[in-house]
Amino acid sequence: MSDQVVELNDDLRDVYQEVTNVAMGQAADRLARLLDVFVVLPIPNVNILEASELQMALQAASDNESVSAVCQGFIGKGVAGEALLIFNDSSFNDIAKLMKYRGEIDDAVQLELEMDIASILIGAFLNGLAEQLDMSFSQGHPVVLGQHCDIKDLITANAARWKKVLTLEINYTIQDHNINCDLLLLFSDDSIDRLNEIASYLLE
Amino acid sequence: MPAETKLDISEFHWMMDMLQTIDVGLVVLNEKYEVDIWNSFMENHSGLEPGYVKGKVLFDMFPEVPREWFCHKIDSVFQLHSRAFTTWEQRPYVFKFKNYRTITGTAEFMYQNITIIPLLSLSGEVDHVCILVYDVTDAATNKAQLEHANKKLEVLSQTDRLTQLYNRGHWEDCLTKEFQRCQRSRLTSSLIMFDIDHFKKVNDTYGHQAGDEVIRVTSKILRDTLRQTDIAGRYGGEEFGVILVDTNAQDAYTFAERLREAIQSITVKYEALEINYTISIGIAEIAAGIQDHTTWLERSDIALYHCKRNGRNCSTVFRPGMEAEGH
Repeated sequence: MSDQVVELNDDLRDVYQEVTNVAMGQAADRLARLLDVFVVLPIPNVNILEASELQMALQAASDNESVSAVCQGFIGKGVAGEALLIFNDSSFNDIAKLMKYRGEIDDAVQLELEMDIASILIGAFLNGLAEQLDMSFSQGHPVVLGQHCDIKDLITANAARWKKVLTLEINYTIQDHNINCDLLLLFSDDSIDRLNEIASYLLE
Repeated sequence: MPAETKLDISEFHWMMDMLQTIDVGLVVLNEKYEVDIWNSFMENHSGLEPGYVKGKVLFDMFPEVPREWFCHKIDSVFQLHSRAFTTWEQRPYVFKFKNYRTITGTAEFMYQNITIIPLLSLSGEVDHVCILVYDVTDAATNKAQLEHANKKLEVLSQTDRLTQLYNRGHWEDCLTKEFQRCQRSRLTSSLIMFDIDHFKKVNDTYGHQAGDEVIRVTSKILRDTLRQTDIAGRYGGEEFGVILVDTNAQDAYTFAERLREAIQSITVKYEALEINYTISIGIAEIAAGIQDHTTWLERSDIALYHCKRNGRNCSTVFRPGMEAEGH
């Protein structure tokens, strides 16, 4: 099983691209209405990454002190995945303004904002994804990475269990605000087959 | 209605029973934040009965719940139809409940993770939300204890047992960092290396226990002399190093003399013994020509050996050319 090559054919890639587009659009629409802003819609990236590539990406995020990340696990119909939201710390002043927080932005407030934005973006996106694939996800509690643990340790501890990950990557920006964050939906290899199966119904 | 979808009344009864008894708080709120459902977890922990809370605004009963913050979360669930979360790491609790284990528990209150989920009405609208309250006290206190233990371990791994000063490894790390900081900021710091004169004789004459006591007293005087930002470590057996942050050689000399005089005037009493001793001090400030922290260390050492050659019990600031002297 572990030697099996996980591939993504063009049809499936298109399906994921389309599903991501729609889910992202729905999430953006709701975010725009909640915050009363215009959300710029990017083109999502669908990729199969090697564990080492993902490690490098996360490593880069952890080396860079001005970046913070929140992750949240979700699971449904045998598909387990993790949503990872990576923030640029320079965004927080603008996020605070949007979320109507007043006063100093200390570490506690920054944590609140991260959690809020993560809840909104991840939740709205998962809703859209679940709706299209006709499934529902249970969600764990979000965790701020690197707060009580080193990201490096997380990666090395888990690296042995998976070789490839399907990543749906969306870069959100908000017009007229200095807000930039990256939402990554990660599915490890044992979930990809199941997800492919579910997604292939959409091809028919 | 087909038979299999009809909810049997007894089935409904035990389902309600399940929701009542589950050890998770369940609260259903309408759009005006008024309570509709309040399960036994909430009743038992808050002491408020469902009959009393029904129809009342949540925040009126729990003034400790930060209203604006929580409304914001609830509103986002109504609008986005997606779940919202709060974790104990972000806010230890929303409802101030007592710890389940009031006697043996270490936390005073219940740490909580909270999920707010949208509830769809028959018409497909979200007109209610459900607040799920999870007790995560054990996880939270375990994590806190682990962090505390790790901090303690860190301190232990950096501390010299006998003197309670930094050990050599950690002190050298500090030295490297301070050197790099000075390189970046172009500020000057000074390094003092000192050792106890004729320490071997102390050991040989009075025994190792007495020698240890001399080292303990020396480090005590050193700690008392230090300023807040100075970094002191035990470098070797009877050799010590002090990094004087943002201090030039002249001020470092004043510091060194104060330390030397304090030690000269003290008499170490060990059992029936009275021991008087002195120290020799070498000083080097960061100057041009110092490429790395080892050179800095070498210069203090050279100044220290200069003291040794010149009768001990004195302080010497490194001068270029000092290396060649006495060879």
